[in-house]
Amino acid sequence: MVGARFQHFLKAILLMAFDLFFIKLHTTGDISKYINPKYENMSFVAIWIFTLLFLIQLFRIWENNRNEHAYCPPGCNHDHGDSASVPRKLVNYSIILFPLVTGFALSPSVLDASIAANKGTVLPQSNSNSYEEELMEYEFGYDEEVIDNDNFLSDKEYDDKMKKLEQSELIEMKEDIFASYYEAISDSPVNFQGKKIKVQGFVYKEKGMRGNQLVLSRFLITHCIADASIIGLMAELEKANEYPEDTWLEMEGTLDVMIYNGVEIPVIKAVNWKVIEEPTSPYIYPVLTKIL
Amino acid sequence: MRHIHSYLIDFTSLIAISVVLYFILFTQLAGEKLSFHISDSFLQLNTIFLSILIEAIPFVLIGVLIAGFIQIFVTEDHIRRLIPKNRFLAVVMSCVVGALFPACECGIVPIVRRLVEKGVPLHAGVGFLLTGPLINPIVIFSTYMAFGNDSKMAALRMGIGFVAAVVIALSISILFRSKQLKHTISDFTSSDPTMKRNESFTVKIEGMMKHSIDEFFDMGKYLIIGAFIAAAVQTHISANSLFVFGDGVVGSSVVMMGLAYILSLCSEADAFIGASFSNLVPSASILAFLVFGPMIDLKNTIMLLSMFKARFVLILLVLITVFVFICTTLLSFF
Repeated sequence: MVGARFQHFLKAILLMAFDLFFIKLHTTGDISKYINPKYENMSFVAIWIFTLLFLIQLFRIWENNRNEHAYCPPGCNHDHGDSASVPRKLVNYSIILFPLVTGFALSPSVLDASIAANKGTVLPQSNSNSYEEELMEYEFGYDEEVIDNDNFLSDKEYDDKMKKLEQSELIEMKEDIFASYYEAISDSPVNFQGKKIKVQGFVYKEKGMRGNQLVLSRFLITHCIADASIIGLMAELEKANEYPEDTWLEMEGTLDVMIYNGVEIPVIKAVNWKVIEEPTSPYIYPVLTKIL
Repeated sequence: MRHIHSYLIDFTSLIAISVVLYFILFTQLAGEKLSFHISDSFLQLNTIFLSILIEAIPFVLIGVLIAGFIQIFVTEDHIRRLIPKNRFLAVVMSCVVGALFPACECGIVPIVRRLVEKGVPLHAGVGFLLTGPLINPIVIFSTYMAFGNDSKMAALRMGIGFVAAVVIALSISILFRSKQLKHTISDFTSSDPTMKRNESFTVKIEGMMKHSIDEFFDMGKYLIIGAFIAAAVQTHISANSLFVFGDGVVGSSVVMMGLAYILSLCSEADAFIGASFSNLVPSASILAFLVFGPMIDLKNTIMLLSMFKARFVLILLVLITVFVFICTTLLSFF
């Protein structure tokens, strides 16, 4: 009896801890380091459900146990906390506790080049049998829903920004439009030849690159960090080999076209660059515009 | 008595709140002290692990609420009346229902368990399990987007997925007759079935919530284990190293399906990952990735193993693998 009560108490505590974990992610803004802010609404739903379940669970602690099955239809087999052995219960609750401990104790780290290397490649490989463009071939710009979002652009804003890309002499790769600009430039590098570009990213290197080359990259998050993919532009500068991977650079330069493993890719001929601190929003999220 | 009871509740909630606050403070302090000793790769793993959980938990919560609803409000009579006796019709119907039902693969497992327990034939449950996460409006749209607003891949994904799901569910109906659940009704003493009809609505809702809570803790641990393994694999194994079988259709389909299984991505997001392999593998292999992943993956298998017999889960896994592979490979010859 006492054991069952204690378990109900434990469950109530865990529900509340999960609830507070989600609330903490929202209040600190850390949530954007785990998932695309577009899906924030779903985690608000989680906060409400957890709160509700916590309250229900609270009343269960002092309930008489024999009532437990009273409202159950036959065939009810949910775990009333009396089926498993003590060591087994201990393991079960430790597993549930584990993400809470690491979640509260450790702050989210930003993905680095070692993960990028596992994600495949940014630059075309020599055995590539497609000549179209780079590996990352995305078509963004639309989304199914109209959601409040950090990275929400109206149709007009989006069109304006894309027009700006074609017309202006200096292309600024701002976070909100990075993915779309990147796609346009790597789709047809020739169209942008000779234009000036300003971009921030971290240094990433691949096998087969020369000493004056590096890739200035960013992670693109579609849904959550687990689905991150890497996008980046090749850059040529003197002493590129002096910058180790994961160094954040801000770079200005001129866009040019080069042939890499038989594929045309854009390249930045760097004019000036400086080492910068890792930005507060290191990730790129696909642009959303409304179509409704 | 009532007074004492409500004081008791107040008192308990105060204790609960202080325990949680103490826990949070303590872990955060410990984290600050210890984080220097923790390697970067573990921090990265942990971030990926938590992000999968944060993404999945809202869907799991909705899933367990629906499961709780089914447990309390849906009776065996309803199900007996609704599901066709004919095996083929039952399978097709369940696949269609699954296709209309916008579920995520982690949210659908508890729902299927409840349905099977309530007397839905196993093959119909499987049909629902397979098409639920694979075919729904959100997935169709994200696939359409990911492949450069090209509807071909989205259409193939739905079409092939539906055919494969029907075939797999039919095979299950031939192979298995019983429910294949780990616990059966006879394991538990059931209460008087006439009682439940007289319960008031609020009592039923309360019962549904309690079921949902227990289900969440049942499911939660398997979700956590699955997410952790998926994150560990992502941190330590390079995607390129998987391409040891060369770049033929067969080899790369095997690799892509393995990848879909291990990564355990949500079916709403996996199209973008699949599209990123466009240059490396033939489109039939990408299709295999897109159809296989939502049907079964690592975290999903572990969740299934917790409630169905291991032999059944294994055979289901083999069937899905074989049929998805055959369907998508055949397509590459046309």
